[in-house]
Amino acid sequence: MRPFDPLCPAGAQDPCASCPHLCTSFQGIGFRLFSFIAALFFVGSLASAQQKPVALGGGKVLTVSHGSIENGVVLFENGKIAAVGAAGSVQIPKDARVIDVAGMTVYPGLIDSETALGLTEISAVDMTNDLVEPSDEIMPHMHVYDAFHAESELITVTRLNGITNAIVAPASRDTLPGQDSFIQLAGKSQDEFLLVRDIAMPLNFTGEQRRNERGEGRKFPSTRMGLAAQMRQAFLDAQDYAQKWSEYEKKKADYDKPKTDSASDSSAKPADKDKDKKQPPNPPKRDLRLEALLPYLQGKKPVVLAAEESSDLQAAVNLAREFNLKFVLNHISHSQSILDYVAGLKVPVIVGPIYEQPKSEERFDAVYSLPAQLYKRGVKIVIASYDSHNARNLPYAAGFATGFGLPYDEALKAITLNPAEIWDLADKLGSLDPGKTANVVVSNGDPLDVKTDVKMVFINGNEVPMTSRQTRLRDEYSAK
Amino acid sequence: MQLRLTCKPADALAASLLAIAAITLVAFAQDSPPPAPTDVLIKNAAIMTATHGNIPNGRIYIKDGKIAGVGPKVSAPSGVTVIDAGGKYLTPGIIDSHSHIALDGDVNEATSPITPQMMMIDAFDYHDKSIYHGLAGGVTTSLLLHGSANMIGGQAIVIKHKYGLNRDAMLFPGAPRSIKFASGENPKRVYGSRNQLPSTRMGNFAVQREALVQAQDYMREWDAYNAKVKNGDKDASSPKHDLKLEALADVLRGNLLVQIHCYRSDELLTEIAMAKEFGYKLRAFHHALEAYKVADQLAAANIGIATFADWWGYKEEAWDAIPWNAVLCMRKGVRVAIKSDSEDFARRLNQEAAKTMRYGGATEQEALQMITLNAAWIIGVDDKVGSIDVGKDADLVIWDGYPLSSSAVPSKVFIDGTVYFDRSLPGFGMPYYKEGM
Repeated sequence: MRPFDPLCPAGAQDPCASCPHLCTSFQGIGFRLFSFIAALFFVGSLASAQQKPVALGGGKVLTVSHGSIENGVVLFENGKIAAVGAAGSVQIPKDARVIDVAGMTVYPGLIDSETALGLTEISAVDMTNDLVEPSDEIMPHMHVYDAFHAESELITVTRLNGITNAIVAPASRDTLPGQDSFIQLAGKSQDEFLLVRDIAMPLNFTGEQRRNERGEGRKFPSTRMGLAAQMRQAFLDAQDYAQKWSEYEKKKADYDKPKTDSASDSSAKPADKDKDKKQPPNPPKRDLRLEALLPYLQGKKPVVLAAEESSDLQAAVNLAREFNLKFVLNHISHSQSILDYVAGLKVPVIVGPIYEQPKSEERFDAVYSLPAQLYKRGVKIVIASYDSHNARNLPYAAGFATGFGLPYDEALKAITLNPAEIWDLADKLGSLDPGKTANVVVSNGDPLDVKTDVKMVFINGNEVPMTSRQTRLRDEYSAK
Repeated sequence: MQLRLTCKPADALAASLLAIAAITLVAFAQDSPPPAPTDVLIKNAAIMTATHGNIPNGRIYIKDGKIAGVGPKVSAPSGVTVIDAGGKYLTPGIIDSHSHIALDGDVNEATSPITPQMMMIDAFDYHDKSIYHGLAGGVTTSLLLHGSANMIGGQAIVIKHKYGLNRDAMLFPGAPRSIKFASGENPKRVYGSRNQLPSTRMGNFAVQREALVQAQDYMREWDAYNAKVKNGDKDASSPKHDLKLEALADVLRGNLLVQIHCYRSDELLTEIAMAKEFGYKLRAFHHALEAYKVADQLAAANIGIATFADWWGYKEEAWDAIPWNAVLCMRKGVRVAIKSDSEDFARRLNQEAAKTMRYGGATEQEALQMITLNAAWIIGVDDKVGSIDVGKDADLVIWDGYPLSSSAVPSKVFIDGTVYFDRSLPGFGMPYYKEGM
C-alpha cells in the first residue's frame, strides 16, 4: 500500500523488498501504511558512475572536518572520496586522472539549507512558479518533488559557484506548506537530483501566514491564535488518525490469527464466531494530509520551525513540544533578546537570511551578528541563502557573518558539515573524508569571498561542465 | 478649547502634565542642527583613492569639510583633530546611483504613464532608518528615484546620508536635477492590467513620443510668446503654465539628467533613437541587464549604466542578464556603476562591486569606481564626490577589513568631514542621532 510512495524511482510495489536502488528504510510503527522511507539513494549507485579515479594535487585542501592541508591531495573514485592527505602520503592509482591544482583551494561542495531551486524559473512569470499551494494553511501533503524541475537553468548557474546540494522548500505562505526535498545539483535524471524526497517539514510561524487580517472574507484563521489552533487541531487529528489505524491493525492481526480452542469463550455461541470470521475489520479511510504529518509526530524526521520574533518563536516551540516534534529552528532574525533560551533548546538553528533588515529599534548589525552570537552560546548554526536565482551567493552570506564575529572555520562549516549533520547526511556529505560522496570544489581562493572564482566542481566524482546559459551568452557577446 | 471649558481641576492637572511630557518628548526628538565642520587629519590609513591608486600608510587633511590634502606626507596645522586609522583601509564614501529608500512607499505616482512633474522631494521621509542602514554600509550619497511604473516618472533628489539631521541638511547642495524614465515590462504591466494604454512596448513608446511632441508644441508656444514680448508686443497673451509640459520641456532643453529604467537591448537602442529624434541627451540606463549586447552603441553615445552585479531571472526581461555585464560594458568604454535599487543591497554595495573583479576581472580600482566615481558621474556630482582628491567633499569610509570582500564592515563613515557613523559607538553608532527622532 504505497500509492504515494515517492521513494522508489522504479515504482516498485514493495521497494523495501525489491527495489534495486540503495534505499534506506525506516520502518513505521508496525503496519505498512506507516512505513516511511527516506530515499537515500545516491547517484553513484545508479547511473552516472565516475569513469575513472581523479586525483586533485597540489592545492590547499580545506577538509572542514580535520583542518586544512597545504599542498594536499584529494583522491576520489567511483563517486566517493578515497583518500585525503598531504602530497606524497596518498597512493594515486595508475589509471587516475591527475589534475594539478597548485595555487587553488579545494573544499567540499557547499550545501544550501533553504532554496526554491527547481520550483521557479522566472519569478514574475507565474506559470514558471510552483512555490507554494496557498489555498489552505495546512498542506503537509504537498511534496516539492512533484514540482521539482531538474532542468532548471537556475541549477546550472548555482552549481558553478560550488553549491552541490540544497534543500528545496515550499515558500512560507502556509503554516505547514509541505515537505522539503534534499537535492544534489547534477544528475542524468530527475531521480538522480532528488537524494531525499521528503526530508523535513517546514512549520512556519512568522505572522506572514495570516490571511484575512483585515477581515476580508471573514475566513478563519486571521490571527496567530487561529493559525496555532488550526495547526494544533491538525496534529490532534493526525494522532487520532494514527490511533484509528493502530486499532485497525490490531483488529486485523486478531482476525488473521489462527483460532485456538483454549481461547474460545464457552458461553459464546458458535454462530458469533463464524460471523467474526466472515467479516474482516474495515480499514479506516486514508487521509493524505494526516498521513503526511505522522513521521513528524513520531519524531522520525525534523520539523523546520520558522519564526522571527521572540514571541512567535516561543509560541511555536511550545506547540512543537506539545506534540513532541523533533525540530530545528529557522530564521529567528529578531529574537536577539532570547538567545540564551534558544541555546537552552539544544537544537540547531538555520539562521538568517543574514541580510534580513533590522527592525526600526534595532542596531544596524542586530541580524548580521546573530550567527556569531549563537555560535558563542554553543548553538550549531547553519547558513542558507533562502533564495533561488541568487542561491549561488550562499558562500558570501557565510563570509559576511565573519565580519561580525563568526570564526572563519565555523562560517565554512555552516554551509558544509553543519547542514550535512542536521539533515542526517554527514556520513555522505559536508567534508572531505574518505568514504563520503565526492562533491568537491576547486577555486582560486577563499571559498567565502566574493572575488573567488570557482574553477572546477565535481558532483559524485563527475566533473560538472562549467557552463550555463549565462556563460554561453557571455561567450557569444564577447566574441570579436 | 471646548475641552478646557469642561475640564475638572484634576483633569486640568493631568492635561498639563501630559503637555509637559509632550514638550519634553519633542525636545528629546529634535533633529540635530548641522554640525560645524571640524578640521581633521586622518593618518595611518591604507587609502584607496579611486582615481590614482592606493596610498599605503597615507594621510588626509580635511579642512572645512573638504579634502585639503591627500598623500603619504600631508601636514596639517596644529590643533586639528587627529584620527589614527590604525592601518585600516579608507575609501571614498559609497554612492548609490539608484535608490528608492526614504520615500515612505511613495515611489510611483502610477495613475498616469507620464508624470514628470512629480518631485521626490515632496515624498522624502528623512527619518527613514534605511538612510542609517545605508550609512552603516558606507553609503554617503544616494539618488532617490521615482519608480518604473510610468514611462516618464518624476524628478529625483540626491541626498547625503547625514542621518539625524533635518530634512534640508540631508539634501546634496548643488546636485543637478535628474528625471526618471522607464520602459519595458513595468509600464505595460501596470497600465495594461487596467486595460489602459500602454499595454505593449509599442504603446509604451507611443505614449512617450506623444508626450515629447506635446512638450515641443508647448515650448514653441512659449518661445513665440516670449519673442512677442521681447519685440514689445504688449497685447501678447501668455500661454497656460503646465507643470507637466514644463518638466518635459526641461528635458528637451537639456536641463535634466535623463535616467532610464531599461532592460532589453532593443529598447536601449529605441531609447537612444528617440533621444536623438527629440534632441535630448541620456545620462544613464538603469538595470541595463542586456547592455553588454549593445555596449558599443552606449559607449558611442556616452551613456552610462547603473546595473546590478549579478541579479537575474526575476522577470522575463531579466532572463538574459549575466554577471559579466558590468565588465563587458566597461571594457567597451561604457561608464558603469553598480547600484542597489534595494534597501537591502544598499548596505553592502562594496561586496556587489567586488563581484566585478571575479566576473570579468575588473581591477580593484575599476571595481571601486563602480560604487564611487562612476556613480557620481551618473548623478552628475563627480566634481564634488566619488574619489579622494583635493577639493572634493570629505565623504570617506574607514573599513574593518578589505573593502572589496565579503567580510568588510565600515568602521567610521565621514560626510563633509564629520563622522556620522562610528561602529564602535554604543546604541545605533551615530553621534547625531537620538532615539525617538
